[in-house]
Amino acid sequence: MKHFIFVLFLGCLFCIPVSTNAQFLKKLKEKANNALEQAVDKKVEDKTGVSTSESSSSNSSGNSSSRPSNTKGAGLKNTEPPDVVASIADAGKSFDSKNYSDARYAVQQALVGIELQLGRQLLRSLPQTVNGLKADTSQDKVMSTQWGWNNLTIQRIYNDGKDKQMTLTIGNNLLYSGLVNAYFNNAYAVQTNDKEQNAKQVKVQGNKALITFDADKGYSLIVPVGQSSMVVWEDVNFATEDEVMAAANQFSIDDIKKLLGEK
Amino acid sequence: MKKYSVILIIIFFFANALHAQEFGKDISAAKASYTSGNLADAHFSLEQAIQELDMIVGKQVLDILPKDFNGLAADEKNDQVAANVGFVGATVHRQYGDKGSEVEIISNSPMIATLNSLLNMPVFGGMMRDANTKVVKVNGYKARLEKNGDNTDGTTNYTLQIPLKSALISVTAKGMDENKVLSFANSIPIEQISKLIE
Repeated sequence: MKHFIFVLFLGCLFCIPVSTNAQFLKKLKEKANNALEQAVDKKVEDKTGVSTSESSSSNSSGNSSSRPSNTKGAGLKNTEPPDVVASIADAGKSFDSKNYSDARYAVQQALVGIELQLGRQLLRSLPQTVNGLKADTSQDKVMSTQWGWNNLTIQRIYNDGKDKQMTLTIGNNLLYSGLVNAYFNNAYAVQTNDKEQNAKQVKVQGNKALITFDADKGYSLIVPVGQSSMVVWEDVNFATEDEVMAAANQFSIDDIKKLLGEK
Repeated sequence: MKKYSVILIIIFFFANALHAQEFGKDISAAKASYTSGNLADAHFSLEQAIQELDMIVGKQVLDILPKDFNGLAADEKNDQVAANVGFVGATVHRQYGDKGSEVEIISNSPMIATLNSLLNMPVFGGMMRDANTKVVKVNGYKARLEKNGDNTDGTTNYTLQIPLKSALISVTAKGMDENKVLSFANSIPIEQISKLIE
C-alpha cells in the first residue's frame, strides 16, 4: 500500500510539469491560430470589401449547438477574510455539542483568517523599492488553503516599468521545502561541469540557499527558512549573480522568519 | 473478555475526556494569542486544536469499525490514531489477527485527494480491470480491489481501496479469497465513517 502511494505520488509530481507544458503549448497554438485567422480575414476584407467579422458573428449566432462565449458578469465579490474570533467561538460551540466536523471547519476558517492577516502583515513589512525596482502592490497576493500552515503563499512583484522584474514568493510548504533541503544534502546534485554552472549553493544572510540560472527564465534564488518555509526570488533581466544577491539582501530573512513564527 | 471490554471502554472514555480538555485549552490559547496580536502562536494553537479533534474523531471511527475480520479478532490493544496538520492528514489504523490483515483510514489530506483522482484514472492503474485488479462496489461506493499474489499455502492476499474525497479507506487482507474480503468490506460502516471524518 505504502509502495503504491509512493509510486502514485511520484507519478503525480512528474505529471504536473507535463500538463503545465501541454497547457502552455495549447495556448501558444491558439494564439498562433488567432493571429493567422486575423491576417487571412484582413486579406479577404481587402479583396472583397466585406467585413468577415460580420459574417462570422452571424455564423456563430446561427449555430445553436456551439457554446456561447461569456460577455457579462461582474466576477466574484472580494470578501473579507474569515473572522477569527467568531470562528474560534463557533468551534467551541460545535465542540460542546459534539459536532466535531463543524468544529474542525470553524478552526480551519480561523486558520485561514490568521494566515491571510499574517500574509498582509508580511507584505506591509517588505521594502517599497529594491535596487531601483518599485513594488507593484496591485499584484500583491496572499493565498491560504484550508490545510493548515501548508501552502500559505505570499507574493510581491517589483519592476522598473520596462523589462526588469523581481518576483518574491514567500511560501510555507513542508513538502517542497523538504525537497529543497534534500537537494542541499546531496553533494552530487550541485557539481559543475567546468564549462557553465547553472545551479549552485550560496548563503543569504547566513542561510543556505540555492541559486539557478535559466537563459529563458533568468535567475532564481531559493532560501529555505526555519522548518518548513521558503523564500524565492525570481529575477528577470538581472545582469549578474551579484545583482541578484544584492537585491535579496535588501530583505531581512530574520524578520520574515519572526513573522512566520519560524526558528 | 467482558473485563477486557470494560477496561477498553474506560480507557476510551478518559482518553476522549483528555482530548476534550486539550481542545478547550488550545482554543482559549489561540484566542488569547490572537487578541494580543501574536498571530504565529495563535496559528500554532489552532493547529493543535485540529489535531485534538482528529484524535477524538479517529477514536470514534475505531469504535465503529468491525471487531472481526472473517474470524480474525481486532487487535484493539494496538489500535492507532495519528493526527497531522498538512499533507499527511489523520490516520486511523486497526489490525486483525497476526498475519498483517488491517484497515487503515487516512483522512483530511490534500495528498490523498490527489491520489484519489489518480485512483479514478485507468491510465495511472486506477479504476481499471486487468488480471490482478478490478473495480468493485462496497456499500454502494466504488472501490479498487487488487490481488497481491498467492501464499505458499495456496491462499491469496488482497488490497481494497475506497476513495472518499480527501480520505482513503484501505483494507489489507492476508490469506483470504475475494468473496471474504468483499463480505468484510461491506461490514465497514462507510457512510458513518464518511460523516465523521469529513
